[in-house]
Amino acid sequence: MRTTRFRQCLATAALGTALAAGLAMSGAANAQAYPSKTINYILPFNAGGESDLSARFQQAVFKKVAGVETVIQYMAGAGGAQAWSQLNSMPGDGYTIMGINLPHTVLQPMQKDVGYKTDDLTPVNYFHYTPDAIFVHADSPFKTLKDLIDFAKKSPGMLTFSGSGSNSSNNLAQVRFDELAGIKTTYIPFSGTAPAVTAILGKQTLAGFNYAPSGISHAGKMRMLAVASEKRMPAFPDVPTFRELGFDLVGGAYRGLSVPKSTPEDIRQKVSDIISGINADAGFRKKMEDGGFVLTDVGYKEMPAFVAAKKKEYTALADKLGIKKQ
Amino acid sequence: MGNLSYLIDALTPFNMVLALGGVVLGTIIGALPGLSATMAVAILVPFTFGMSPASGLIALGAIYTGAIYGGSFAAILVNTPGTPSSIATTFDGYPMAKRGDGGLAVTLATIASVVGGLVGAISLLVLAPPLANIALLFGPSEYFWLAIFGLTLISALSVGNTVKGLIGGCLGLLLSTVGVAIVGGDVRYTMNSQILLGGIDITSALIGLYCVPVLIDLVATRAPHLSIVEDTRGYRLLEALRISWASKFNLIRSSAIGTAVGILPGAGGSIAGLIAYSEARRSSRHPERFGTGEPDGVIATESSNNATVGGGFIPTLVLGIPGTPPDAIILGALLVQGIKIGPSLFNEQGGIVYTFMFGLLIATVLMLPVGLLLGRYAYTSIVKIPKSLLVPTVAFLTILGSFAIHSNVHDMQMMFVLGVMAWILQRYGFAPSPIVLGLVLGSIAEMGFVQTYMIGNATNALAGMFFGRPISAVIIVFAALTLCYPLITAMLGRRNKPAPVEATDTVVKVVTTDKAKRTKFRDVPAILFSLLFIGLGVAAYTQTKDMSAMGKVFPTTIAALLVILSGLLISFQIGRPAAPAKKDLSGEAKESTWRRVSIIVAMGVWVLLLPSIGFFATSLVAFLVLVGIASFDRLSPREMAIHGVAAVAIVGAFQLLMDNVLGLRMPTGLLF
Repeated sequence: MRTTRFRQCLATAALGTALAAGLAMSGAANAQAYPSKTINYILPFNAGGESDLSARFQQAVFKKVAGVETVIQYMAGAGGAQAWSQLNSMPGDGYTIMGINLPHTVLQPMQKDVGYKTDDLTPVNYFHYTPDAIFVHADSPFKTLKDLIDFAKKSPGMLTFSGSGSNSSNNLAQVRFDELAGIKTTYIPFSGTAPAVTAILGKQTLAGFNYAPSGISHAGKMRMLAVASEKRMPAFPDVPTFRELGFDLVGGAYRGLSVPKSTPEDIRQKVSDIISGINADAGFRKKMEDGGFVLTDVGYKEMPAFVAAKKKEYTALADKLGIKKQ
Repeated sequence: MGNLSYLIDALTPFNMVLALGGVVLGTIIGALPGLSATMAVAILVPFTFGMSPASGLIALGAIYTGAIYGGSFAAILVNTPGTPSSIATTFDGYPMAKRGDGGLAVTLATIASVVGGLVGAISLLVLAPPLANIALLFGPSEYFWLAIFGLTLISALSVGNTVKGLIGGCLGLLLSTVGVAIVGGDVRYTMNSQILLGGIDITSALIGLYCVPVLIDLVATRAPHLSIVEDTRGYRLLEALRISWASKFNLIRSSAIGTAVGILPGAGGSIAGLIAYSEARRSSRHPERFGTGEPDGVIATESSNNATVGGGFIPTLVLGIPGTPPDAIILGALLVQGIKIGPSLFNEQGGIVYTFMFGLLIATVLMLPVGLLLGRYAYTSIVKIPKSLLVPTVAFLTILGSFAIHSNVHDMQMMFVLGVMAWILQRYGFAPSPIVLGLVLGSIAEMGFVQTYMIGNATNALAGMFFGRPISAVIIVFAALTLCYPLITAMLGRRNKPAPVEATDTVVKVVTTDKAKRTKFRDVPAILFSLLFIGLGVAAYTQTKDMSAMGKVFPTTIAALLVILSGLLISFQIGRPAAPAKKDLSGEAKESTWRRVSIIVAMGVWVLLLPSIGFFATSLVAFLVLVGIASFDRLSPREMAIHGVAAVAIVGAFQLLMDNVLGLRMPTGLLF
């Protein structure tokens, strides 16, 4: 017992020293030109999702652009609402930035009181989106979008689309597409992109509304019939856009960054510039475009117009999804 | 298999150091309840950007496999599954530790984990491309039936107490529906509170349901947490090896189950462990011993959950579909490194993949010495540490762990509330495990059911979707077997041998006390609880009226089941003779009620004030209060000083770990 106690004392002393050293270090960084220390990048989702992946891409070049590192922290819960509802209580010093997503941050508060309103968030930059796209299995008899529509017209409701989540961008796109093409299809929500893709690969559903990057990771096993980007994507030069085929469908999951409301104007602009700077990095650009992302450069100045337009678009669709407005 | 040259690549000193470091770190993180394999892997990712892809992967794989294994320590020693993968490890591991066989249980878990890990990793190495297709054969209906199969284990776990077990299962299933539904997007049972929108987190619920009752009962008596037998020091390695050899079929079967379930992206380690446990029990010659400290139970769970590591990498690397959440992170890290996933990976970038696979094999083998050393250290410290330090430390870890999962104080409060409820229910024969099974498997079952229903409806093949698919049919048969097996053995048993000993789940009562007298008296509390559950079921049913068709089908079914089962329980009990006046209570008289109440109150105040006052300050005060509650003798000034220093050191060290290493946002509140 005596030796154990001695060992305990030793361990305690060591820990105490470590504690003191740690406290001293955390107090050191202060008042210098922004950014002068590591920036906390909070993601409202679990590690391993698409938001995580895109943040990891940014993290890899963050130091090069901003001069400081960024650390990714996860605060998953309630589809992002847990983190977003706490954003404004965090320090507005520019060292706390949080990922935000569309259409989530518009549709969620519309459906239910989730602890934040769309306008509580302070977006400073929307840096890319992953366009919605229709996929079928490589063996599928549907070779073109027209084949798919013909089938749906012949047998209403029989065409099943897998997609990521209810009231998501995939879900919105399916509702819009039904309307534009004058067809009726069945949307089967899955708990994320990976299981939704698995359903296509395993032929559980006839087709899927998914995001364009899946076309990269599952090349050769799935056929992309149309993509909801404005122009053809560099990664998929042979895949037509919905617009080319006569359907005005452009959209997907948009990713951006918000800061707490208390963040000063000049810091908001600086955060926005860092993110734009990362987007402008040639190596980063190539990786993202090869990966099926569409880079956008909606900076802090362009934000009000962009958000207003998106809100209008989603509000119109929300009625059709049956989301009750509050 | 002309790829052995890659083995040499994997064996560079740098890679070996990474593998060893990864396993050690992973095991420690996994052993702390609430700190999961996912978290361990996520922290490590940025560090791998600077390494070569193969080395980075080896480090990630090593920490991942270590973390899955480390979960067994907490499960065995304090009845708290560190991750959902080791739920079934608590069923027999904790009873073994209770009776003094903790060292043996840890050693068995280590051997089983290594074997399971090797089977998984070798399958990955040799059979990955063909096996990956299993992932695609499982659709919504297969997942639905797989979850049902897992749920049938409730019947086996609650022999002699089946109705109560099923009621517990319904409670867990209802809890699983709280929050925003994935399919349909309905907001269910949140009582208009934002706190419940995200639903009940499974890991924090596990910590509460399993660990809080242990804590409450721990302070009630002076008896040591685990009984101490003379040979606490030994690994009992030879004995463990002998047991493992005798259970070689169990080991192989469980590892195979783990590998196969690991390949299924929608299932995960929890289902693997439960199914392997269930199968081990069914094929055992002593199924009645399961749940009371049967080594085969530990072997089955631990070998299968470590086999899911290698299994999970199969769809990840071949199809780009992550088999488990940590796989998803590793997949992301690969993409950032510019590596394209898919069958071509094995040809074009075979060097990286095969080096990684050999690295994973090496890391798995390293788990044996690392695990034996760390495991022995963990066991001896749990045995030797005085109760007055053990109770506050474990309580602190439950608070910390339930917070750490999502940096969410509400998860922590939910953990505590569920824990107290579990303690009360457990006292009246409603064991926590059925609730846990319902909670863990509920969302998988519901999602599979609703998706199957929607696809079946759209294609006019409803019955075919549910029952007509070959894999589903096989799973249904196995589920039916598991469900009915206790009945069959009971019937056979009545003819051949004395009535089976009541398996009391994780409630560990010494079986030798002669409580197995067959006259059953009326259980008045059970009647009262049943009335309560009927009320709950009716309330849950009426709340479904605003939900969409997709969102209501599952909760209405469960609510109706709950009402029926509770009615059944009442009707059983009414017919029995009233219990005679309570006899000799001398055994229980020594249990201290005030200590139990105090620890509940202390922890309640702790979780309530933590967000507004701060993590460090409340935890330090609470730690010292719990020292007081758990001390049975007056502490000398010297001892007091030691306890004080220990409190500052433990709370401070974890605060630093969380804040600076894991990068979690700790609540600071008014103080710090």
